[in-house]
Formats: sequence, C-alpha cells, structure tokens
Amino acid sequence: MTDLISFYEQLWQIRLFEGHVQRLAASGEVPGFPHLSTGQEAVAVGVCANLSDGDTLFSGHRAHGHTLAMGSDPYATFCEVIGRQDGQCQGRGGSMHLVDVSTGMLGATGVVAGNISLAAGAAWAAQVKNEMSGAGKIAVVFFGDGATGSGLFHETLNLAGLWKLPLLFVCENNGMAEFTGREEHSDVAKVSAFAAPYGIPAETIDGNDVLKVDAAAQAAIAAMRKGAGPYLLECMTYRMAGHYVGDAQHYRSKEEMAKMKEKDPIERLRLHLLGKGRTAEELDAIALKAKTAMTAAVERARKSPLPDPATVMDYVYSADFPGRQENAQWN
Amino acid sequence: MSAAGLQQLQEMLKIRRFEEQCIALARADKLPGHYHVYIGQEATAVAACAALAPEDFIFSTWRNHGHLLARGASPVKMLAEILGRSGGYASGKSGTLHLSAGELGVPSTSALVGGSLPLATGAALACKRSGKGIAVAFFGDAALEEGAFYESMIIAQVWQVPILFICENNSIPPKERKRGQYTSSTLPAERLGDVPQALQVPSEAVDGTDVAAMNECFARLTAEVRGGGGPRFVEVCCSRWPGNIMTWPELPGGEWQIDWAFGGKPDHEGMATWLESDPLQRYLKKLVAAGTLDRAQVEAMDAAVLKEIAGAAKLALESPFPPASDAYRHVFAAQEARL
Amino acid sequence: MKITFAEGLAKAVYESLAADPRVVLIGSSFMGLNMTARKLMEPAVRDYSDRMLVTPVSELALAGAGIGAAMCGQRPVVDLGTGSFIYQAFAQVANEAANIHYMSGGQSSAPVTFYCLAGMRGMGAAQHSQRTQAMLGQVPGLQVLTPGGADDAYQLLKWCLLKSQNPTVFICHSLLFTETSEIAADEPMLPVGQARIRRQGTDLSIIASSITVPRAMAAAEILDKKHGVAAEVVDLRSIVPLDRETILKSVAKTGRVVIADECHKSFGVAAEIAATIAEEGFSYLTAPLIRVVVADVPIPFSQPLEEELTVSPDKIVAAALKVLGN
Repeated sequence: MTDLISFYEQLWQIRLFEGHVQRLAASGEVPGFPHLSTGQEAVAVGVCANLSDGDTLFSGHRAHGHTLAMGSDPYATFCEVIGRQDGQCQGRGGSMHLVDVSTGMLGATGVVAGNISLAAGAAWAAQVKNEMSGAGKIAVVFFGDGATGSGLFHETLNLAGLWKLPLLFVCENNGMAEFTGREEHSDVAKVSAFAAPYGIPAETIDGNDVLKVDAAAQAAIAAMRKGAGPYLLECMTYRMAGHYVGDAQHYRSKEEMAKMKEKDPIERLRLHLLGKGRTAEELDAIALKAKTAMTAAVERARKSPLPDPATVMDYVYSADFPGRQENAQWN
Repeated sequence: MSAAGLQQLQEMLKIRRFEEQCIALARADKLPGHYHVYIGQEATAVAACAALAPEDFIFSTWRNHGHLLARGASPVKMLAEILGRSGGYASGKSGTLHLSAGELGVPSTSALVGGSLPLATGAALACKRSGKGIAVAFFGDAALEEGAFYESMIIAQVWQVPILFICENNSIPPKERKRGQYTSSTLPAERLGDVPQALQVPSEAVDGTDVAAMNECFARLTAEVRGGGGPRFVEVCCSRWPGNIMTWPELPGGEWQIDWAFGGKPDHEGMATWLESDPLQRYLKKLVAAGTLDRAQVEAMDAAVLKEIAGAAKLALESPFPPASDAYRHVFAAQEARL
Repeated sequence: MKITFAEGLAKAVYESLAADPRVVLIGSSFMGLNMTARKLMEPAVRDYSDRMLVTPVSELALAGAGIGAAMCGQRPVVDLGTGSFIYQAFAQVANEAANIHYMSGGQSSAPVTFYCLAGMRGMGAAQHSQRTQAMLGQVPGLQVLTPGGADDAYQLLKWCLLKSQNPTVFICHSLLFTETSEIAADEPMLPVGQARIRRQGTDLSIIASSITVPRAMAAAEILDKKHGVAAEVVDLRSIVPLDRETILKSVAKTGRVVIADECHKSFGVAAEIAATIAEEGFSYLTAPLIRVVVADVPIPFSQPLEEELTVSPDKIVAAALKVLGN
C-alpha cells in the first residue's frame, strides 16, 4: 500500500535519528563506531513497506534505518545504540547487533556478509511453513556491495537458487566497501550480474527513489509469496555520511559531496509530493512531527539507566541450559 | 604428432594401471584409509601437464594421483606415500589425501573441497611477482559450491594473476543419481563456467574424453595465462567412470582389458556403455585407426607399464613404516629465532 | 630512541619492505580504526604501493592466497583486520597453513604472517572483541605471537616478515598503540620463544601477554606503592612458542602466581599456563594460583557490562592480594 505521506515521515524519522547518532557520537556519548544510513533511507522504507507480520529481515552493520523501517520503537533503538538497559538487547548488542524479534528484525551483524546465510535459513523455515499453511511468508536480507566479495554470498545465492527460497536479496550498492571504491576491488560493475548464473532474477534500480524501490519490492515480493523463488534487488544509493562516525571521508572529492545532495531521497520525494498537490506547509509539518518525536525519544534514552553489571552473565545461554548454574559459579 | 601421441597414450595407461594397483592393494588390506582414483579422467592430467613448464605450480585435490604422475612423479615414492611408508614423498605424513612433490612444483595438496583454490591463487601471485611460471588448479565440480572458489576467482581477477583453473566436472547427472553413491554436486548454473564468467574471468568448456581438443585448449589457455592475460577457467566435461560412483572405488568388469578396445566387451553392462566415453580407450582407438600403432605394440606398451607399476608396488611394500618418533618431526620448519 | 607500539609496527613494515622484495602486503590497514595511527603507514604507501594489494572482503581466499604465495617463495603478510575475522579465514589458517610443513613431510613451508587486531577494544561488542589466541594455540604448526610492548611490536613483526619460516598469527591489540618503549639501534632482539621479564620481583609472579602486560605493570606499581609487594611481571611475547621455562623459573622464585589473560576462562591461555605449573612446578607453589581472565560470556556492547568483564589492573591487584593472603 503506497502511502506517500507515511513514506515521507519515515524517511525523516530515519534521517533525524541518524543525525542524533552522529551528533552524539562526535561528543563521545554514542560509544563505539556506529554506521549511519544517512542518504540510504529510501531503500529501507521502500522495501519494508511491503513486509508484514511473519516476514523476517536481516541486515548488516548499517542497520538503524532497517530497524526503524520495520517499526521498532525509536526510544528502544536509541537506547540500544547507546548501550542502555531499555534497548531491545538490553545494551548487549549495540548499533551493529540490533535485534527486534517483535517486528521480525532478526538481526544486524558486524561481520560483512555475515547474515546472508542466516537469512537463507529463515527463508527456508518460512518455505516449510508456507508449504503447510499457504502463508506466503518471506525473508529479506540487506547487504552492501562490499559483501559481494564474500564466499558466503556466493554459497547462499547457490542455495537460494537450488531450493527456490523465498529470499529477497537487497544490495544497497553505495559504491564503497569501507574506504575502498568498488572499481578498485571488483571488475563487476553491477551486483545484479552475480545472480544470473544461479538462475536468480535480478534488477538494478535507483535506490534513492522511494517510489521505485517500493514498486520493485512490491512486484518481487508478491511473486515470491506465490512461490516464485529468490530475487536480487540492487539499489544504487549513496552513503551521505562516512563509513562510520569519525570517518573524515578524505577519499571523497568536494564535487562528489555536492552531487550527493541532488540524490537526496527526502528531497526527491518532497518534490514529487509538491508536484502532486501537497503544500510545503503540510510537508514541513510532517517533518516537524518527526523531529519532535525523535528528539523526545533520544532525550528520554539519554536519561535512561545503564544495565546492571551484575547481570552480565544473563542470556549467554537460554534459561534451560543444563550448565547454567555451574557456568555462573565457575565464572 | 606420433611420438607425442604415443607418449600421451603411455602416460594415460600408466595412470590407469597405477590406479588399478591402488585398488588391488586396498583389496589386500594394504592401503590404509579412504582413497580416490583417477580412472576415466586420465586424459585431462596428461594433456594439461603437457602444456606446463618445470617452473609452474600445480594444486590438486584428494583425487591427485593422475596429476602427480602426469607431472612426472615417481610411482615408487607415490605408492610408498599412499601406503604410509617412510619411502614416500612425505615419509608417510600425507598419504594419498595430501600427496605432494615439492621438486615437481606440487608443494601441498588440500583435501578440503575448494581448499586448494586460494592457495593456488597465492601461488599465481608468487609467480607474477617473481616473473616466472604459472599456477594451475585442478578441482572438481563440487568446489564451485564453496565460498573459497568464488573468493579466489574474485581476487585472481582483481590482481590479474597467472592462473588456470581447471574444473574436472565428473558429476553424475541429477536424474541418474541414487542413494549411497559418492555425492555429486548440484549447482543451479546451467554451465559451470557461468559463475566465473559473471565475475569477468573468461571461461570455456572442453570435452574431457577428447585428447586432441584438450591439448589444443590447454596449450592455448596456458599461453594466454603465461602472456599476462590474467586468470582463465575451463570446465572439463568428464564422464564419471562407473567404478567411482560408490563411495569406495570398485572395478566393475575388472581391470581394463586391451581387448575391449579391439572389439571385446566387459562382462558389465554399465562399463560396456561407459567405455564409449573412456578417454584412454577412445584415444587408443584413434591412434590405431590412424595407423600410429597396432595391437601388438599396445600390448608391449602395457606390459612395460604393468612391469613398472608392479615393481613400484613391490618396493613400496618393502619400504618400512616410519618410526614413531617421526610423528614429532616437521611440525615447524627450522628457522632462526632472532632477526 | 623511544617509540610507540603503533610506530613500532609501521617501522617494522617499512624496514621489511625495504629489506626484502619478497615481502608483500595483502591488505594494508594494520592500524584498524585509529586514524592517527594510520598516518604512520603513509611512507610505506608512498614508497611501496606496488607491494600493497587491494583486497575485496574475502578473508578466506586472501588468507589462502597468502599461504599459497608463501609456499611458492614470497613472504606475505595478510592483514585480516579485526581479529574476529580470522574466523572467516579459519579453514585456510588452521587446516591448511598449519598443516603444510607436516603433511608434506617437510617438503613445503608457508612463511606467511596473518596480522590481526584482536581483543576487547572498548564497545566493540560481541563480534569485534574476539581474542583468538587460545583457539589458534590449539592448532599445531601455527606460531601465535602476542607482543605486549612497543619493543616487541617492532622486533617481532619485523622477524615475522623477514625471518620466520612458519605460518604465524601476529596478534596486536589496538589499545596498545600508545604504549612506549626505548629501543636501541643495534640492540639484538630477544629470541622468539623467550618471555621478557618486564619487572623483576620476589613476592609474586604475574604472567601476562598482550594487553594484560601494561595492566599487570600498573597493578605491580600499585602493589609496590600501596602494599609493599614486589611483583614480577612476565611478558610472554608469544603463546606459541610458549616459554614454559621462564614461567617456571619465576614461579620457583616467588612461589605465588597470578595469570592475567584476556581470553575466556575456560580452555584459555591462562588454563594452559596453569596446567603447566601444576604439572611441572607444583612444588614451587606456596598458594593456589589465580587466573584473572574474561568470563565465559560473549562481549556485550554496553560499557558497564564490558567493564565488568575487563581484565583491569584493579582485578589483578585484588587477585594478587588474595594469593598473598593465603
């Protein structure tokens, strides 16, 4: 269901959330090295709009946008990013290991390509259930162009093609693998070319046009729910911030940085909506609403409690682990 | 052509008889552990090695006897190693699985599916840096299922290193597979070469039963690789020998008979059919048809090969087992402890 | 001259590139996320860029390529980045590199160095805080070096690149980058396989490696100034080869041991040292030994949780006092 106003609000939410992360990371309040999806919001919003209860999602290390687009509470998400007790993982995961099972966001990973095969497993589980109940559920995995260097990516394409898994591969091709431009480490310009040998249909689209992302995802997912098998959607996009906060981006030119503004997904949707008869005031009000909500969530998160160190051994194993007590005593 | 052709036939025959000897030793409970034979694929090793120079490197798999013999390895030292004896190339440390011959440019053999591909790519890097030689990686179709294959293709292509990837596809077609057999791979790819091709590594396929086609193909590809053209991939389409279908090698119809190339038929239907795709038999028949040699000469050649192999087996069996203290040797290479 | 740990690494790389044309860098970040330290690599990039290969995110194949190139005459160092990523390359490191000399019966060697930045770096969370030395120490055929000071950062890395004949995992810790040492121009290197006594003492032996070396030194200072205890600090320098002789000699002298290590408690480096002491030095002990190690828990992201697990100078001091109280 294409609700453009909702898209506009969601894009702003992610943009603002990331802005807070960036700001507070600069002052050291957000610890570690968070990875921002600033500029890539349209991919998350456009794809996730087509998911529903029972679908699952996996991401890489740049997962804030996906997490929010799946419907996670911004307060809990920011708590997790700054290591507070009220985070979805009670402070244990942080930015690169966000998980919100309640929305179907089964995990981010800090290991490039690390989640691709996990998503295949989730897709296979969905397939088993689909065969029994006709539910038509799917799994989605987001990864960057850098992940296509991994053998795990290849192995998973192979399996997905072989088993006709309901798995949507979404490659956010922002042309950069950490600090290396794609042309330096790969001879293959378009990631979608990788899918063909495995019999997996693929397409490359402008990932900064949320309408295009939504349309492409909708078509692929609708077919997948009917048993069409895997699909690879390559979304060309732009990483407006660095690889991680603190990355001064010396490897990018001024011209490049200026061009980025033209590709801004929020700006493009705004222009589209204005063309469709929405007013600037209306749109500004939506942006303001998002801003107020994000600021409130972030401020509340900043004041929230840290986890209690005495709980550090909780969740190493599940509650029924036979060695649980012995483990706690020994350590 | 004639002398080279006869030479190649003889090399193929040597591999065949060597492998049959391994099976005999296994049946006599002399060959320890699991092992793999190269029967039915002899032409590939022979044709490929004909295109190589002494400074080149070869990386093989657990199915390595053919590659080593074609490269010029000593049957005695190979058999001794396969039997775990001290006279083997690695003094019994590698056995058949990791058979290697350093002086022949076969530094180490991985028995992990796809395990040798990154190593071979590194060897090619070394060749590029030193300005000498190329690397050749032999592997099976299953290796394409491993991430290591894919990653090796990527870096070989990005670094433009001199490597020839030779994939010996001996898989059983999906429709013919049954339980209990040696596992065959399945890739959704129509042609194995589609995968490397997508990674910009030029790929082609060649008939593994056609010696002449393979001679041309390998000569051409090694020249391209040697000339700095970067990596190449070739799928050698083999027909799996019936004795290699089950998990342990068998000898359906018994040892190969010269008679089968001259009108005779094995007492095993599967073998009789398969012989039409046997690269050794096909090449023999071709040479005979061309008048290059007659049956008597074939029999003489075979007798000489059998004698050599039997002699090698005898010496290998006489080679003592390594002493227990050898277990502690060669964990680390000797080195200076200081700068 | 005084150098920092990071300077030592950069100096070792540059001098090795200059000394031997066979040295090649497969991946060359070395300094991880430390942007200041990265600048130290600029001279090498400027002068030897042809020997620095660009790498896709393909740790498995890159590790294997390093091994293969080493087998065929090169002296590569494979920069695997964050220590955890050695797991991506594990099959090649543990099942190929380590076995090559042995399974070829001595015909082949693989003088390749796998460089990584391992350890709890602060808010690295579960996947970026792995300490892999214990697991790798369990693989016969691999050398595992763990420099704990700038002097060893320089000398050990240079030795790996120029002299080692065996596959080596060189484990650095990003929190060591600012540690300093004095090095003399022609000072002969302490042989590989020999531990370094960083501080002499008679009351207690603290066995440490990598990041626990400066923490043990800080603890020793506190023990001296506040408690009048003279602690001896043994810097292992390498897990494999492990200098059991120096460890036992120290234990024989002091009779009391604290082992400080950043690996997990169960099946870790400290466990091996404790077993060695129990088997060979039992009679030296006048009190049970204590291990100050990381609990068997994946590393959590949140700071207070991570601090709870960290092997700190205070924890070492507390353990020392406990050992001495018996």
